[in-house]
Amino acid sequence: MLQGYFKSILFIVFFFTGATSLYAQIEVCENCSYSSIKKAVAEARSGDTIHIKKGTYRENKIIIDKPLYLKGYDYPVIDGLKKADIINVFADSVRISGIKLINVGASYTEDYAAIRVSKAKNFILEDLILEKIFFGIYLEKASDGIVRNNKILGDAVSEHNSGNGIQLWYSKRITVKENLIQKVRDGIYLEFADHCIIEDNISKDNLRYGLHFMFSNDDAYAQNVFENNGAGVAVMFSKRIEMRANQFRYNWGTASYGLLLKEINDAEIVENIFEENTTGINIEGSNRVNYLKNTFKNNGWAVKVRGACYENKFLENNFLYNSFDVSYNSKLNNNLFLNNYWSSYTGYDLDEDGFGDVPYRPVKLFSYIVNRTPETIILMRSLFVDIIDFSEKVSPVFTPDNLVDKAPLMRKK
Amino acid sequence: MKKLVAIFSFITLVSCSKEKQPIAYGEDSCDFCKMTIVDQIHGAEIVTDKGKVYKFDALECLIDFKHEMSKEKPEQFFTNHYLVPSELISAQTAVYLISENIPSPMGEFITAFPNREQAQKVQQEKGGAIYTWDEILDQQQN
Repeated sequence: MLQGYFKSILFIVFFFTGATSLYAQIEVCENCSYSSIKKAVAEARSGDTIHIKKGTYRENKIIIDKPLYLKGYDYPVIDGLKKADIINVFADSVRISGIKLINVGASYTEDYAAIRVSKAKNFILEDLILEKIFFGIYLEKASDGIVRNNKILGDAVSEHNSGNGIQLWYSKRITVKENLIQKVRDGIYLEFADHCIIEDNISKDNLRYGLHFMFSNDDAYAQNVFENNGAGVAVMFSKRIEMRANQFRYNWGTASYGLLLKEINDAEIVENIFEENTTGINIEGSNRVNYLKNTFKNNGWAVKVRGACYENKFLENNFLYNSFDVSYNSKLNNNLFLNNYWSSYTGYDLDEDGFGDVPYRPVKLFSYIVNRTPETIILMRSLFVDIIDFSEKVSPVFTPDNLVDKAPLMRKK
Repeated sequence: MKKLVAIFSFITLVSCSKEKQPIAYGEDSCDFCKMTIVDQIHGAEIVTDKGKVYKFDALECLIDFKHEMSKEKPEQFFTNHYLVPSELISAQTAVYLISENIPSPMGEFITAFPNREQAQKVQQEKGGAIYTWDEILDQQQN
């Protein structure tokens, strides 16, 4: 699969490096023969490069309907004057780089964006700065494109009528990498987007989710940082999503999670770090998910399992200093906990094989009580709670007796 | 004493009122899918016979939630609509347009309108099909 991506990237690179020598070069600046980008785009021929020099261009609805390369120098500004979309791409093989786009129109009924790519293939959007946006980059029915190294800064501080930073809608094989996205509704939003790769992005301070999947299959996201988002990262109603080496940090609030999984099947969650979230991972209706080598540190709840979740495996994870390691409100349903490191494990390892000789029970009785009656959380760390937790540990009555890690690690991974 | 009774009965009446509540967009989360509600033309609400309010980010979540309700009885249904953001109108008298050109939070493309004329006006521009409350319930069950 990866080879396919490289091929398409190579193809695009060759296409454009070849293009610069073959096709016309058009300059746009205040005193050039073209002072309007719209006019330059309209009069350019397929394959031309438009060089946009420093300056402020007050334009919107720039429609690109042929293969073009729009290249900015010293970040020329296109001011959309708060009306409609700024750039609309309807053609294949379009590349846009080095431009600052500001003032996108806002509307309750139309999703205006700084750059909208519709039904186009093989595009590259890179090194752009987007500010005062509604939606940032909106890809609809687009495929085989790259969105790379862009800075997207919204102003969704108190307004809820804000848009998403990068939105993929019915799109396929898109790579989104090395972007910085701040203060929008959802940093990156995928709806009906398949075979996409999201990597090395930083998405923080967003109003809702840092990253949000809906009805999207066979995607992967890796090495991203999601920090201080309203509700964390949500992966919902999707299949075969790979989540690797991401950092989920500082998502605090009653409806806030590091990662929210809902109706997720056959996913891999590997080597991620969950740090200081109200809930590290909230899992609902998710089956056949493997949790490997993740680190949960200083969360309220590291893992909260709600509703029916079948055949999930938790192997070789580190659970460090969480108020609650695992919480269940239903049966264990064939979920497996094995060879994890639990900082609150008090057992011993007499045969020195690296695994504790006494099983560890990650669900405390108190977490059941808090599930039923959230207000009881104020009793946390009281002597009374310690006593009931201890007595439950000695003779489990309420917690499922098969919810154990039979061979907990003695040292963290 | 009379005053006290009056105050007490007032408090009881107010606390038991079965009324819709405004949705706090960006703060409230959907009682069905847990997503934070941000879309001001697609939110929805159920008020039960005991006055408990459930909020949703989209009508499809309201319908799914309604099917799962066993002990509680839903009494009133409200929905946001296309014309005035964040306004809640009765979902039973609203008219619905399913148009692929108006994306909704849960991917079913359902948007409410206060009446058929308004829905038809937008339908001409955006395309799609118009449903009543009962029809949309049937349509969502399949």
